[in-house]
Amino acid sequence: MTAVLRIGGLTLVVRRRAVVVSLVLLVLLAVALVLAVSLGKPYVAPGDVLKSLSGTGTPYDVVVQRLRLPRAVLAVAVGVLFGVAGALIQGVARNPLASPDIIGITQGAGLAATIALTSGAAAAVIAPSALAGGLLAAAMVLALGARHGLAAKRFVLAGVAVAIALRALTEIVMLTAEPIDGQRAHIWLVGTLAGRGWTETLWLTGTLVALLPVLFWAGWALRTSALDDDTARGLGTRPVARRIGLAAAGVLLAAMVTAQVGAVDFVALVAPQVARRLVRTERPPLVAAGLTGALLVVLADLVGRLVFAPTQLPAGVVTAAIGGPYLLFLLVRRKR
Amino acid sequence: MKLTAQGLAAGYHDRSVFEGLDLSLPDGAFTVIVGPNACGKSTLLRTLARLLPARQGTVLLDGTDITTLPTREVARRLGVLPQSPLVPEGVTVADLVGRGRQPHQRWWQQWSPEDTTAVEQAMTQAGVASLADRPVDQLSGGQRQRVWIAMALAQRTGTLLLDEPTTFLDLAHQVEVLNLLRGMRDRGSTVVAVLHDLNQAARYADHLVAMRDGTVVAAGPPREVVTADLVRDVFGLDSVVVPCPVSDAPLVLHI
Repeated sequence: MTAVLRIGGLTLVVRRRAVVVSLVLLVLLAVALVLAVSLGKPYVAPGDVLKSLSGTGTPYDVVVQRLRLPRAVLAVAVGVLFGVAGALIQGVARNPLASPDIIGITQGAGLAATIALTSGAAAAVIAPSALAGGLLAAAMVLALGARHGLAAKRFVLAGVAVAIALRALTEIVMLTAEPIDGQRAHIWLVGTLAGRGWTETLWLTGTLVALLPVLFWAGWALRTSALDDDTARGLGTRPVARRIGLAAAGVLLAAMVTAQVGAVDFVALVAPQVARRLVRTERPPLVAAGLTGALLVVLADLVGRLVFAPTQLPAGVVTAAIGGPYLLFLLVRRKR
Repeated sequence: MKLTAQGLAAGYHDRSVFEGLDLSLPDGAFTVIVGPNACGKSTLLRTLARLLPARQGTVLLDGTDITTLPTREVARRLGVLPQSPLVPEGVTVADLVGRGRQPHQRWWQQWSPEDTTAVEQAMTQAGVASLADRPVDQLSGGQRQRVWIAMALAQRTGTLLLDEPTTFLDLAHQVEVLNLLRGMRDRGSTVVAVLHDLNQAARYADHLVAMRDGTVVAAGPPREVVTADLVRDVFGLDSVVVPCPVSDAPLVLHI
């Protein structure tokens, strides 16, 4: 069932099934990336995509290198961060509903961004404000939940309450602002990858790389998150400290990605749950959740770009459209 | 002495469960704590295992104040099984038993050959080796309890505290668990368990601790401790105590 993996000084325990699932997801992701760069107007044959990437000049260089590739790569980064963030937070809360877009992090980022957008702040201020807003909202949720040792149910309830309050505040700010500013805020709130690319990707990859040691620790620490506190303490761990550490890592990832591209709803909710079912673990597996998230966002952005062409549907709208029915499907299937 | 409590006080919120409690639990023995519901026996066990912080007094593990030891270090020397641990969904027996190795591992050193040996031995000793690949949530109550004990065995602590390990099990499985615990004692472990059944306690314990209203009423070998007076004192029940025809341990028959 499990295998031991050695990388330099690291000795990791991995599930064989998780490795197989991740490899399959990687292959699917590669296929999706090729499709994302090929499809659209103009259609670029996969062969021409590879030619353009290898530096042999083709007539499609601008389309491939400037327009589609940066966007597709950003979709991967966004999906990975949302997927991992969701897996961390859901693992801590032992609740599939505990994802950043349900427990207020996305809404905190949205409120801060709306305030920045409607108060005439410079464009460069928007992402940092959104990040701060997301982190502040998360701090509020953690503070409300921490009074009871971050007990899973309270944590989620506190998050839902904070999310609702923040969403209402955002509406108020948007309605009282100049209509044109309100419209800009509205567009920001629905996460989109259009017109974004390498800069955002760089930020997101940087965050992920910086947090890599934390993520190795998190994969390990999540092993005791499904045990009750007394059992976990008996094994020499500090459950509350672990939960705070794991939640903080998840929150940081979610706030960072929301600040860069807006709210791509449901990815952080759905990806970890799909990955968990594929790998068959009691908690969402981090790597598989990240890859599932990436696949989901790449496909969502592609669908949003193609289906109503030339009008582009934001990726966040597509993921929300997939996410709702998926949740219903989960509910129906569980009853059997 | 393996575990010693000195002037121990503990409780929940504004309710004190016991104060000024002194107790010594002998090394390499099977100690059983008995007493009526709400007498504080579970609270005592949780305090001894540092799951519940003591309000006053100290717990000494091998003569060292347990609060001065890092929690990982305590977990290498003292194992504890709560009354009804939460069974994680879909986790296999081998996986759960493997989590007992947690205090011997680090995130950068998540598994060693020693872990494999400890897990295999623990599963064999607890009689769950044949269930290794089964999900724990699909097992019967008796099998599940043996899996939890296997997890504690894999922890290789030398001392194990158990809170009512036989509750919710039928008689045959109760005996199975008690024999397993006695086997651990035979291999040199110190075992401390809270039990409900006074006769089982008298039959299996080397050292019996009787509690009532947060105080230790009597402590010692069951043959010396279990008398009709003690049963009246602790449980408020009139009884006769006769030698058990099977084991010669004191047998309590209420009137």
